[in-house]
Amino acid sequence: MSFVDSIAAGLSLVGNIEAFLALFLGVAIGVIGGAIPGMSATMAVALTLPFTFAMQPITGILLLLGVYKGGIFGGAIPAILIKTPGTPASSATILDGYPMAEKGEAGRALGMALWASCTADVISNLSLILFAGWLASFALSFGPPEFFTLILFSLTIIAGVSGESLLRGALSALLGLLLATIGLDLVYGTNRFTFGDPNMMGGLNFIAVLIGLFAIPEILAMVWHPTAHVGKARRLGKNWVSFAEYRRSFKSIVRGSFIGVFLGSIPGIGAAPSAFLSYSEARRTSKNRENFGKGEIEGVAASEAGNNGVAGATLIPLLALGVPGDVITAIIIGAFMIHGLQPGPMMFILNVDIIYGLFIGLIVSSVFLFVIGSVAIRGFKYVADVPKRILIPAVLVLCIYGVFAVNNNIFDVGVMFVMGWVGFLMMRFHIPAAPFLIAFILGPLLEDNFRQSMLMSGSDPSILVRGPITWFFWAMTFVTIIAIVRAGVRAVRTGPAFGQKPEG
Amino acid sequence: MTERQVQMRLGIGALLAALFLGLYAIPAWVSSPSNVGNVVLSPLFWPYALAGLTGLTGFGLIFSGFRSDRDGAPLGEPDGEAGAAWVRLAAMAVIMGLTMLLLPRLGMVLTSMLVFVSTAFLVRTRHRITAVVCAVLVPLVLYAFFAHVAGVAIPQGDVLRLP
Repeated sequence: MSFVDSIAAGLSLVGNIEAFLALFLGVAIGVIGGAIPGMSATMAVALTLPFTFAMQPITGILLLLGVYKGGIFGGAIPAILIKTPGTPASSATILDGYPMAEKGEAGRALGMALWASCTADVISNLSLILFAGWLASFALSFGPPEFFTLILFSLTIIAGVSGESLLRGALSALLGLLLATIGLDLVYGTNRFTFGDPNMMGGLNFIAVLIGLFAIPEILAMVWHPTAHVGKARRLGKNWVSFAEYRRSFKSIVRGSFIGVFLGSIPGIGAAPSAFLSYSEARRTSKNRENFGKGEIEGVAASEAGNNGVAGATLIPLLALGVPGDVITAIIIGAFMIHGLQPGPMMFILNVDIIYGLFIGLIVSSVFLFVIGSVAIRGFKYVADVPKRILIPAVLVLCIYGVFAVNNNIFDVGVMFVMGWVGFLMMRFHIPAAPFLIAFILGPLLEDNFRQSMLMSGSDPSILVRGPITWFFWAMTFVTIIAIVRAGVRAVRTGPAFGQKPEG
Repeated sequence: MTERQVQMRLGIGALLAALFLGLYAIPAWVSSPSNVGNVVLSPLFWPYALAGLTGLTGFGLIFSGFRSDRDGAPLGEPDGEAGAAWVRLAAMAVIMGLTMLLLPRLGMVLTSMLVFVSTAFLVRTRHRITAVVCAVLVPLVLYAFFAHVAGVAIPQGDVLRLP
């Protein structure tokens, strides 16, 4: 199929009002979800997921991608106005966004955040279109040993960069891997931790685990401390961002976008490190570096470009290799699976219309983001005024309906509640939940590919180093482990506890 | 809790979990055919490997706990009314347990209404009337969507049967 044919196939799939409406609605839900502190883009995507079951695959996935894109930008609104990032990715935006709000320039900061976000979004989407197909064609030559080393590398990255302590990240990933062993054995079909219950034989339901891990702990945290959310929004001010300011910050925006694309395409890194790296690079090279941290508009532009640059790029490993780039794409991979689609290189051959439909939808989503973002900036007060103690019970009821709807099974609701308590305990002990979920998804793939490799070679482990691709991933894995250990040793020497990531 | 306390408690927890897995849970709850030729192909291999790594991580956490400052600053915000908070958490656990019991009996709509109201009052909402109105409307709207748009067979229960 030629490039033009692929575009035409994609257009035929998304060229209808239903698909664009879903995308528009998704961006709106995402912006609102991201703008409510404590809700986060991740929770917004997780809660929207059950509504996609009845939709066409492309429509459902576009809805979720819209929520994702909107959520990443939406997080900047409370970060600037009330110094509370709506999503972890917006943490860097506080550094200059909130001082601007204190000076009465919140409107200017939010305007720049929107422009930078949309620019980075376009760059990220174009990178996805350019690189995903190339990577997928390369990945067609992957066999079980190559996939095993790739997934191992992804897990190393996740354990190393998530959260404030790499040891707690590793523990979280191990718990996820252990939970993924529940069910019938993949090769022999024998029971593993099923306790003879037929509900457990297929393993734990992914949606129940993820909603339990991300939505229920927020509810329990609200029960623990019902007034923790009380905050005060600031006025937008009369000033608005000018094109001259956008042009002045353009270099930082483009640099931040490419930092986002690069880091986003590596599974597990996510948007927050990208935003901080983009911000520090902008501060290092800017003429106004002394104003950074005191309300410099270029700082807002750089951090927002950094986190939005990740949004499209995290879909590169998802679509090309079937490996989620971050937690949100891990949820989106669930949507693919529910609709009978398996992301990975074969999807570029078997479902090329869906791939190109998604590309077209993503490009359009940048326009929607600009329109909805402009409205959301002015309407934030109404979003912030939704009583949190009404919202939380509504979220709980929605979780119950959504999780039940996956398999029409009340057992899954119980799994969600149990995972909610696990997630709450993890929250109390400062264990990051993201490595748990990603390991839970990657666990069966890791084990499956390992055992397939062993079956192929007659249990000869040398198959795991059989060619340049496996050598490359082994080398990357070792480099990552060495970097993690060095960071730990440095942390011990400079003061903080071993395992604690240096700040910044 | 300080960084030291968190690391130590997690480390001890991870070690105990690894021991429990290795000595009891895996032998008791993971079955393997007797004719498995190679240990790496056995259904037991992966759980044992993960249990071992959990134990190692536990040692790492304990070691890092020892290295941490004994009088370090607490992680996160201090808990204000911890006693009342524990009571609310226990009440939430009861709500969840009752939800599981009532779902097949009262159906999802009625159970969700009760869950909504009880949770809203548990978190001490100031908008009581809004909470009650939402408690009725939200489950009904969700029922309408899932039952009539998504085609999900929502449990109806013995008391109330909706169209």
